[in-house]
Amino acid sequence: MLAPAQAIVARPRAGSALRSAAPWVLVAALALLMPHVVPGGFGLSLLCRMGIAIVFALSFNMLLGQGGMLDFGHAVFLGLGGFLAMHLMRLADAGWWLPLPLLPLAGAVGGLLAAIAAGWIATRRAGTAFAMITLGVAELVVVIVLLLPGAFGGEEGLSGDRSSGPPVLGFDFGTQMQAYHLIAAWAWGCALLMWLYTRTPLGRLANAVRDNAERVGFLGYNPARIRWLVFALSGLFAGVAGGLAALNDEIVTSGNMGADASGSVLLMTFIGGIGTFWGPVVGAILITFLSVALSTVTDAWQLYSGLLFVAMVVWAPGGLSGIILAHAPLVRAGRLGRVVPGYLLCLPGLVLAVAGTVGLAELAFRLQAVRNGASPRPVFGLAVDPGSLLPWLVALALLLAGALLLRRTAPPARAAWQEASVASTAA
Amino acid sequence: MTALLVAGLHKAFGPTRIIQGIELSVAKGERHAVIGPNGAGKSTLFHLISGRLRADAGQVLLDGHDITGLPPHDIFNRGMARSFQVTSLFPKLSVFENLRAAAMRDGGCGLAFWRRLDGYAPLRQRAEDLLAMLGLDRRRDVLAGNLAYADQRALEIGVTVAGGAHTILLDEPTAGMSRAETERAVVLIRRVTEGRTLVMIEHDLGVVFDLADRISVLAEGRVIASGLPDQVRGDPAVRTAYLGAAAETLDA
Repeated sequence: MLAPAQAIVARPRAGSALRSAAPWVLVAALALLMPHVVPGGFGLSLLCRMGIAIVFALSFNMLLGQGGMLDFGHAVFLGLGGFLAMHLMRLADAGWWLPLPLLPLAGAVGGLLAAIAAGWIATRRAGTAFAMITLGVAELVVVIVLLLPGAFGGEEGLSGDRSSGPPVLGFDFGTQMQAYHLIAAWAWGCALLMWLYTRTPLGRLANAVRDNAERVGFLGYNPARIRWLVFALSGLFAGVAGGLAALNDEIVTSGNMGADASGSVLLMTFIGGIGTFWGPVVGAILITFLSVALSTVTDAWQLYSGLLFVAMVVWAPGGLSGIILAHAPLVRAGRLGRVVPGYLLCLPGLVLAVAGTVGLAELAFRLQAVRNGASPRPVFGLAVDPGSLLPWLVALALLLAGALLLRRTAPPARAAWQEASVASTAA
Repeated sequence: MTALLVAGLHKAFGPTRIIQGIELSVAKGERHAVIGPNGAGKSTLFHLISGRLRADAGQVLLDGHDITGLPPHDIFNRGMARSFQVTSLFPKLSVFENLRAAAMRDGGCGLAFWRRLDGYAPLRQRAEDLLAMLGLDRRRDVLAGNLAYADQRALEIGVTVAGGAHTILLDEPTAGMSRAETERAVVLIRRVTEGRTLVMIEHDLGVVFDLADRISVLAEGRVIASGLPDQVRGDPAVRTAYLGAAAETLDA
């Protein structure tokens, strides 16, 4: 029978505003604290990169995770926003009165206009067709940018001096710390805006279009119109990231907007997890860190983020945030301890498999380098001859041993997790 | 007063003529059932009326206005909503969010990205009311994709009526349901279509004769009979063309 109206479950509302504000305060405090934790100018510039990557990845997930749109050319909006910002910076260099801390606003305008134009074509379709169109548009834009050296500086790109503008609220870019504070403030504000957007009518309709675009049409909304609007807003935030990058690097080139950059934001976002709002933040931080940290120890670092991406797609399509979410109920129910032994048993196999994979990757990379006449630096302090058979066999054996071990240890660990989560949700 | 008028509708897929000159008239406030054997063109007729497919020829009038060839969202905005034979929900949204999304257009949200969705109190209320009416209040925060089949079918009806359309098309609302579930669905359909015009495709003749004010019988892309349940029941053309062996059930 139909339930009576008074059976509506009362939803607790009190304190929810406070609860949702708390993480944002925490993040702001963390952002202020980080430069004192991470030492030196190197750490500071790494933090700046992370802030920019966070805005970029969040804007990308407005499309992929929330709107079901796989954009293969997202860096175009970052790049065009960056170029517009750079032009203004150069005007400031030429003596115009322009408050440069607000330069990301110019990036926003550039990204927004570019996304409105590209979206006009791309968002008419969804799925694979959409992805193909974005790929084509991106290629086209990069070619045009290279063909117009007057506007975009050709191969070298455009550079400027961020300290040439008038100081605004004490910001004169005298130190990298000032640049960091500015980037952190912009990143925090943009993240907050993008989060608020997820709780608006358009944000929810984007989810609906992702899940079932046709049905949205039968509920009175044109799904293509929704996609276009979301695309434009996403371009706006990508443009802010571009403006921040222009401020941070003091140079913008066509390389900022190429396939590499578009691929890298896909990697970050997916590895962090597209199913949650904060997943891309985790991915942006991790991949930015890896790209800097790994590139100091190995020339093959891009290979590793690629391998991590493939591993995620195959074994953890929810990304890191998906893994964390899968354990949240266990933590709440105090049952996390039940899965730890199983996970620990998986560790040796995992270590062996990773070691084997790294060995093979490095050997392959070094073989290639030696063939090209280069002498690659020793990796992890080891000088190994990639021409001899033994290191290859060792690496292969490690990988196989690890894989075999994991085949034994992974299923029980998975079963333990399943059992614990069933018990946790029932509790 | 005619709510829905279909005149001379034709549709062919390649050489196959599915709809061959359908005439249909549904009065305002009427509950009208469309029945007919498999392949008679019932679902195609719904697709043509609701804008999912384009007709080759003919006209569809809603409240006297020509809606032929309009896209689905325009037709919805003129007051007609439809459900689907194969459940068509938003699987990764909760039951509540499905209903709220379905009510948004009518709730005056537009495509706002500068206002909180939770700030639209009447919208929220309508979704909560529907939850109770559908008997899904205990499933409020369950993802629609994780619902049991019968609950998904109920939600399908809820999503269809949530937008306040005055004319509702239901495509086999009780398909695949058990007897008990079907009985609940009939009560639900009667309740949510109160004061609205209903056109529904239905295979379960028990449901048809229980709910419908008038019945149209489709066979080979044409309406071969249309009238009150008793008239259709007695129509010899219907008996031979469609009911056949099922005729005895009707007499019982």
